[in-house]
Amino acid sequence: MSKFMHRAVAGALVATLGLSAGVAHAAPATASATASARVLQQITVTNTSDLDFGTVVAGTAASTVAISAAGTRTCGSGLTCTGTVSSANFNINGTRNTVVTITGDNTVSLANGSGGTMSASLTRSASTLTLASAGPVGGSFQVGGTLNLGANQADGAYSGTFNVTVDYQ
Amino acid sequence: MLTSFGRRLAALAALFAAYSPAPALAAGDLLVAPTRVVLDGPRGAEVVLNNIGEETATYRVSLELKRMTANGTLEDVNPEDATPAEQAMLDMLFYSPRRITLPPNQPQTIRLGVRPPAGLPDGEYRAHLLFRAVRDAVPAVQPVAAGSGVSIALTPIYGVTIPVIVRQGNLSATAAIANPRIESDGEEHALRFDLSKQGNRSVYGEVIVERPGVAEPLLVARGIALYAELDQRVVTLPLAPEQVEALRGPVRIRYLEDRDAGGASLAEVSSVLR
Repeated sequence: MSKFMHRAVAGALVATLGLSAGVAHAAPATASATASARVLQQITVTNTSDLDFGTVVAGTAASTVAISAAGTRTCGSGLTCTGTVSSANFNINGTRNTVVTITGDNTVSLANGSGGTMSASLTRSASTLTLASAGPVGGSFQVGGTLNLGANQADGAYSGTFNVTVDYQ
Repeated sequence: MLTSFGRRLAALAALFAAYSPAPALAAGDLLVAPTRVVLDGPRGAEVVLNNIGEETATYRVSLELKRMTANGTLEDVNPEDATPAEQAMLDMLFYSPRRITLPPNQPQTIRLGVRPPAGLPDGEYRAHLLFRAVRDAVPAVQPVAAGSGVSIALTPIYGVTIPVIVRQGNLSATAAIANPRIESDGEEHALRFDLSKQGNRSVYGEVIVERPGVAEPLLVARGIALYAELDQRVVTLPLAPEQVEALRGPVRIRYLEDRDAGGASLAEVSSVLR
């Protein structure tokens, strides 16, 4: 019985997701469910832009390129910076007025696959967010960073990963 | 049984119907529900994970230790630094599956259960379930021509953590609010107050700031916890500049148990904010 119910729930989820939002709202099941939907408070996290430093031509001295949380670039002395840049943006949706905390890596190391490495420090625009009481997006935060280039940093394509999590209390 | 089953179905249906996808979703986007699990008996629990991105993604589910700091943020704890209670939690909670590949819009249920060892001391045990997509670093696009500089690609590995709490024995706690104040640091404004508790379990609920004689609350903040390991924390509620002005004056701050848990009053204080 328990196993059957489990499957039935999964089946119902698939069925619901197959419907367009409009149809689902019109269904009587939705209307009668509003009161108990609180039992399963949800959270969604979506990544809508990447942290992009553009292309940098390194100088003869060590320098830095910074992307603010707002997505503007500060090109250090001796460097040439080109290309479009952006900070990473994440949207959070969940129960209205809920407070969430944001944690993640403060540094990230990058490698170009042929021995070249770099590091970047990361900054998050918020460590605590209260999800909005109305509107399509509950809240959003950005991740910017400062890239540390060495003197005569080897050319190439550098990549790396960094962690960021949205924590419920 | 059928009624509760039907209600659960309807709740899930509403949950997913209510979510309207925004454009440009990335691989690894995710939905998790519920956002908190309390296990206080032999029954287990289920958590739904849904891939709300536009591509198939593989997600990993893991159990992490975190502790709350005095300012309310959560700090990661390395497994080797675990207290006996934290280690007991890691040992007694089981969950599966732990690695899931989901096509877009495909939900999966993760089942949680607890096997308390014989002689487990009474108390509250907690760990945090982390859901996140498994992603490899995306290679950076080569600069247009060799010798024309460096290009950088940073891949975020992002996810959600929710607390999982196991309660053993009869536990109780009371809470108190003190010293509410508005603090500004440059452009950042916040309502802060000290939240304390006495007892052997965490307290959890919502904060409502009201003005006597005004029907609508001035501020509502849900999901505020003070965990068992702490006696006191500072609660920081960020404010927009216009909220700062609206809050100045006499207020009543109430801390209520979560609506799902009955909504009883946990603590209350009246003050004048300047």
